[in-house]
Amino acid sequence: MDTWEVFRRYGHKSAFEHCGTVTAADSEMALLMAKECFLRRREGEHLWVVNRTDIHSFQDETLLEVAADKSYRFPEAYRDVVVLRERARERAEQLAGEAG
Amino acid sequence: MSASLISMVTALADDELVLGHRHSEWTGFTPYIEEDVAFSSIAQDEIGHAAALYALIGQMTGDEPDKLGLGREKSEYRHAVICERPNQDWAYTLARHWLYDTADSLRLETLEATAHKELAGLITKMRREERYHLLHADAWMKRVAGGPVEGRTRLIDALHDAFSEAMGLFEPIELEEDAVKEGWLPVPSGELRIRFAHKAGEALDSLGLPTEIRSRLDQSAEFVASSSGDLIADGETHEDGVSIPSGLGGRSGEHSSDFDALWDDLTHTFREVPGATW
Repeated sequence: MDTWEVFRRYGHKSAFEHCGTVTAADSEMALLMAKECFLRRREGEHLWVVNRTDIHSFQDETLLEVAADKSYRFPEAYRDVVVLRERARERAEQLAGEAG
Repeated sequence: MSASLISMVTALADDELVLGHRHSEWTGFTPYIEEDVAFSSIAQDEIGHAAALYALIGQMTGDEPDKLGLGREKSEYRHAVICERPNQDWAYTLARHWLYDTADSLRLETLEATAHKELAGLITKMRREERYHLLHADAWMKRVAGGPVEGRTRLIDALHDAFSEAMGLFEPIELEEDAVKEGWLPVPSGELRIRFAHKAGEALDSLGLPTEIRSRLDQSAEFVASSSGDLIADGETHEDGVSIPSGLGGRSGEHSSDFDALWDDLTHTFREVPGATW
């Protein structure tokens, strides 16, 4: 028998979330098993099963490790920029005033 | 309050309770864990349906649902004999599960037209769950029938045992004529039995299962009445030499010895601790 990854969601607006696995001979049986194992108490309204062999990942997951400092890729990294920008603007206005 | 309505609902509730109890005996022992959960859930559904039906009877008679389900003598239960048979192996359990849910879906479909509005509403709710039961049974039948030799052989043997006994589900209920006349039972049991024999026979053909099972089904589709007019409940060869299918008698409270241990188990707590709640 194959291993099937089970996903469920509640309503149309939320995303499918992985909730577990079942062992079954084929997709129809996997759905029948998954319904009772993961949706028997109204935990969701939609159900997917995916054969684990149809899920792909990198052979070498060290590829996913972040090698350098990536803090500049987050918006938080730019919080201080606002202060600096305002300070620069004031300074520019001040300089313009002196020149006038 | 109508005696024939109570008779009909009692037969239905007792089928669900007793078969649900047999199914629940698999909890912890089913072939693998996913099926253990699925089959236990089906058992819970059946017992839940029984509880709802007993509550409906209770509204008419003033009895507590627990007392109706657990507080009766063996001879007062009206389920078909096939429901009380021991589980034996997975093949027999599957054969019976499939026969029962095929029969139940036909029965419930017609009962939605019953003259009792509240019962009709309850039947609609039950059918939502029963749809899964039949899907589950069909899926298993298809795979075991088309699978390796051992499973297929065991299934064929199990069907030989269970097929004729499934006819007991359509044995006329007590006060059947009144139930039909008063509009509670839209399709008489005998007519349902013919529809069931036809549908189950066709399904067996499409599963590629041996036709001798079906021919046996056709034979047993005819009940044999004794000289007194009673349906004969035993599997013995009768005095006129006709072989009589076993599995009848449940609808008039004539149960097999298989019901003894089940009844002890089912009603134990209720008898030992009067007034217990759970």
